[in-house]
Amino acid sequence: MAVCVGIIGKDNSPKFFTCLNPAEELNFQYKVLSALDVVEEKLNCGSKGATDLRELYLGMLYTLETHKIYGYVTNTKIKFIIVVDSTNMALRDNEIRSMFRKIHSEYADIVCNPFYIPGEPICSKSFTGSIKNIMTGTV
Amino acid sequence: MMQSNINPNATDFPTELCAKPQALVGISGLDILNNAIHKSIWDTFSSNRRVERAPVVFKLIGNAHEFPVVKPKRSSYDWYIPKGILKKNWLHKHLFEIPAVTVIFYDLDWSDPQWNEKMIECASRVQSMRAALEGRACKLTVVLIQNSLPLPAGEDALAAERAVALCSSCELNSQSLFVLPHGDHLQGYAVRLETAFYEFAQTYYHNEAKHVKSHKDHLNKNSHQYLFVRHQFKLGILYELKQDIHSSHKHYTHAYNNLLEIRIVDTNALEIRTIAGFINYKLCRLLFALNLPRDAISQFKSHIDRFKSRLGFQELSFEHYAWLSKQYSVFGDIFDEAVKLGLPAVQTQHPGLYYQQGAHYATMRKKSCQELCSSVTTYPQPDPLEGAIHMEFFGQRPWRPGKISAEPPDPHLESNGIQAMQFLERQVNHSNLIIALYGLAITQYKTYRCPRTRRHLVLQMADEYYDSKDYGKALTLYTHMLWDFRSEKWWSILSQILEKAIRCAYLTANIQDYVLLAIEFLGTDVCVSLDEKRRVYENLIRILKKQIPFGNTKLPQDILQGAIILWQPVFTEKSLSFSLDMGNIVSCIATKGRFMKTAYEVDQNVTIEVYIRSTCPFPLTFSKVSVTVNTQGYSSEFAVTNLENISLSFHKDEVKRFLVVFMADSNDINKEIQIGSINLLLGNPQECCLDLKYTSLNETNGNHIELTHFKYSLDKLDFDNIQLLPKATVVPRESKLRVEFDHEDPALLGEWYKIKVGVVNEEMFGITDLKIEVGLEEEIADVEISLRPEPSHTREGIVLTNVDTLEHGEELDSFFFIRSSLVCKFNLQVKLAYTLNREKPVFSSKTEIVALSVVEPFEVSTKYLSLLMNEIDKFYVGEEFGVMKYLMFTSPWSIIIEDTSFEYTNPLRPAEKAYNSQLVEKTFNTGEIGAEIHLAACDKSCEHNLTIGQYSIRWRRKNGYTTSTNLHITGLSCDWIPLGIKLRVPAHGFVRTPMILSYLIENRSTDLIQLEVSMEASEAFMFAGYKQFVISILPKSVRTLQYNLNPLIAGNVAYPKLSLKLPENAVEDKVPSIIDQEELNLLIQRSLSTHIYVMPQAKGQPKLPTVISPKKIMFVS
Repeated sequence: MAVCVGIIGKDNSPKFFTCLNPAEELNFQYKVLSALDVVEEKLNCGSKGATDLRELYLGMLYTLETHKIYGYVTNTKIKFIIVVDSTNMALRDNEIRSMFRKIHSEYADIVCNPFYIPGEPICSKSFTGSIKNIMTGTV
Repeated sequence: MMQSNINPNATDFPTELCAKPQALVGISGLDILNNAIHKSIWDTFSSNRRVERAPVVFKLIGNAHEFPVVKPKRSSYDWYIPKGILKKNWLHKHLFEIPAVTVIFYDLDWSDPQWNEKMIECASRVQSMRAALEGRACKLTVVLIQNSLPLPAGEDALAAERAVALCSSCELNSQSLFVLPHGDHLQGYAVRLETAFYEFAQTYYHNEAKHVKSHKDHLNKNSHQYLFVRHQFKLGILYELKQDIHSSHKHYTHAYNNLLEIRIVDTNALEIRTIAGFINYKLCRLLFALNLPRDAISQFKSHIDRFKSRLGFQELSFEHYAWLSKQYSVFGDIFDEAVKLGLPAVQTQHPGLYYQQGAHYATMRKKSCQELCSSVTTYPQPDPLEGAIHMEFFGQRPWRPGKISAEPPDPHLESNGIQAMQFLERQVNHSNLIIALYGLAITQYKTYRCPRTRRHLVLQMADEYYDSKDYGKALTLYTHMLWDFRSEKWWSILSQILEKAIRCAYLTANIQDYVLLAIEFLGTDVCVSLDEKRRVYENLIRILKKQIPFGNTKLPQDILQGAIILWQPVFTEKSLSFSLDMGNIVSCIATKGRFMKTAYEVDQNVTIEVYIRSTCPFPLTFSKVSVTVNTQGYSSEFAVTNLENISLSFHKDEVKRFLVVFMADSNDINKEIQIGSINLLLGNPQECCLDLKYTSLNETNGNHIELTHFKYSLDKLDFDNIQLLPKATVVPRESKLRVEFDHEDPALLGEWYKIKVGVVNEEMFGITDLKIEVGLEEEIADVEISLRPEPSHTREGIVLTNVDTLEHGEELDSFFFIRSSLVCKFNLQVKLAYTLNREKPVFSSKTEIVALSVVEPFEVSTKYLSLLMNEIDKFYVGEEFGVMKYLMFTSPWSIIIEDTSFEYTNPLRPAEKAYNSQLVEKTFNTGEIGAEIHLAACDKSCEHNLTIGQYSIRWRRKNGYTTSTNLHITGLSCDWIPLGIKLRVPAHGFVRTPMILSYLIENRSTDLIQLEVSMEASEAFMFAGYKQFVISILPKSVRTLQYNLNPLIAGNVAYPKLSLKLPENAVEDKVPSIIDQEELNLLIQRSLSTHIYVMPQAKGQPKLPTVISPKKIMFVS
């Protein structure tokens, strides 16, 4: 079960942000921002090295005492960030990976939605619901 | 005060622990105050210690120095119960007080005259030093400072002998005696001595370590657990002094593990934690030195994990956090040190992380201090912390030193001690500590490219400044961080910062920042409660009325009071005005400005549309809206013009459109004008006004601007989709003159071509100073322009007219001429410049282009004919020929030939008396050909084609100007042959009427020519004369052959054929004949006509032409 999911646009502005405990949202935003530093560094290095272009999952970005932060970047440089409690041992790399894939497909759906303008923050209720389900692992 | 003698930061590491252990070498016998030589020796040893020098540290020992007393040897540990783990003085003693090697310097040359006396003095010094070091295994050495350079070893017998004597009298090993020649190369000698000392020191420390180890057997696990730790730690230090870091690391590890085996109870918790911190510090540092950074980090992490939860006394939890913070920051220090020595660090693992954690725990410490210590206001009496500095062991409570038994401590004493600690903790300035740690972390994060994390830390630092009531610094940091979050659109974070920043601005009475932040705060992107916005809005309005704004009621009363005192002087000035740059903030008022066109004519009004949208939830009223327009070199401000029906008051999400109209300056023609800024004036100038300046007019940095069209917009004015046009050009006004050109295109080559320019003034006003300039669009050298049909010698454009005035509707005609000597196409540029006579004279201009092509009027070709009108391909000297000139008229215009003439060039000459043009005053139309023929002859042979001469044609088109065309005509080559032949014959004959045919054969050479002449018979004639004979023609003479012909048939009949042959013998004899048969045949062919018209017999007695009239034929032989 993830505690926070963030979707960051290619201009590094937040497009979507949700966390289980809304009171902590601001703190999580700071954490996700810090994670973006790592993402950017990885993307910069990745362009030089012979990394697999099809691999979008960046793995664990960094750990805090309380949380672990994972990242995923689409080809259009949309970044997905998942924050997991560090005490949570149930979520392994593979589970995180599949969570990211689900989020990616949800994101692809919302972009296809003609009422959504790409680049605007996402405020669709059904999208929020789907992401929450992915976070809690109920799908 | 009593507490002043207590170290406020009990968690600080002792300096001797952090110092890099180096072998201690005591130096005595140097009088550095009075003796210059001694001073220089001391300096050489003690200063300029670079890495490559031996790891020793020198200590100057005076004569009366007292070393620490040696403790009595303990024979058995059986009854010894240690009172603590690590004695406070031990480290200092071994690092800085007990030298491993003591060096006694003494001035003594081998050849010193008072050798014996001095030797004895030296020995006594050694003895007294030995006595001072009684009980220590310290190595004693003597260094003799000598003036003379030493001889090579073995050569100086005196030296060897005296050295032995000195050694024995000092009771020293001969290896312990050194000589230091004082002179050149002092540094080199010093380095060598130093190395020797270092070796001694290593032996010393090794032995010391052995000594410590030897205790191990006497210890037992139950009562001497502390000693296990102590001894291993000592071994670690001693090996470090010996620079054996591998062994050192081993012993520290043992020490740490032994420490962990000790059961932690309340009484020893602090001590164990403190010592664990020390050992861990040493361990990590050594691991970095051993280039095992991963091990260092994992050691540190396990260390922290082990002790993190051991809070100890709840009442002293701040102490635990202080310890944690210290652990982190110190680890950060050693990590950073390792990085500076070349260890590569990465973004996810660098010293900044540890500084950040250190800061985090420092904050925890502060919080816990605030919770626990706020009630403590008095320092307990008697001072429970008395003697804390002189404690024997590290990490023990001063009120119960050396207590290791688990018996419950005296509760009263305990609570007094805790109260004292809490009281002292209250005195600590936590914010400074936290800010310092954040500062270190920020630097590291910057180095490791984590801009966002760094920003977060800066914000935390700002929070800390705020907490410590340094609102000014906090405000600076907040405002600096705003920009990045704004550009990345993290609105919720931005809102939080804004809220804090605006509070700081309020508390520091920084009016400019306050209003700027307020304007951003009221925007729609800032997500704070409406009540909060209302409060800020009301404050903004109050400021505009020069009233002190209200502070947040949640703030403590005393702070608000302080802020109000600061605010009061702000409004004492008569009027306040601020210019605020809105370009960088996300304001609650958005503006867009654009020109209506990309180009404005100079007499037109320039219109700028200004759109203003307010996202402030409360109404805002401006007192003025204006636009600054930048032109090259200056800028000017224009106020909006359509204020009659639009109010300057805005409600939420209202968009209004304003117009700015002004006249472009004629000085700015062809220059760019630009919307510099849109200025909104808030408040009134008498009280307080804000000039909001919107300079940055670039497009919003949205991802897909084109997609915003799909956004549902309630506004009639779709603000988001208004395209900006911030630049326009001032262009000259478009002229309304009508210009017509009257001419007959195409022009002909070489003629003066007349063009009529007709100008009609269709402007609304009269014009003056009309100037018409004609020029070629591109310069062509072969085209001339002139006012009259004659060359004008000006290459540049010519000015046609300068008319003073031309009233409305008036017309003006003017002419000009061009002439081209090249067949081409070109454009003429006609520029009209004038001043329009309106209330404000306007300079105006117009440019017209006339496309012209030039064609040839006719083409000239020539043909050359023999006298028989046959075309020839060669001239012969002396033979006449006809030059036939054809003029092929190709132009679309009919052309009148006025005259033609021909001038022959040598060696050609006319074969006619006078030249009569045969084309005079003839008119030709397109496609017609005119021809004329004239006879000419050539006097000289020539192998290449000869130039016949110049053909001049004077012509004009109808109503045109006479043009003269001159052409050079090239003919054929010219040969010379020795023979010429002519036939003289009547124009026609009559049947049965005799006529005379004479052949004139000319010998042009200087040789005799013999020819065989034969005359073939013909059915049409009877003739009389030689039928076949040989003639000889003398040089330069003419021979005439005459035949009397009597035509028998009427019609065009052939003559009897004359043939000339070279005599047969001549072919054989004279091999190089001057003429050959071929040429003869050609000559006959071209010179002799073959037919004649014979008329039927005339009736009656017609008068016969003279040639036919009977004549006596004479033969000249």
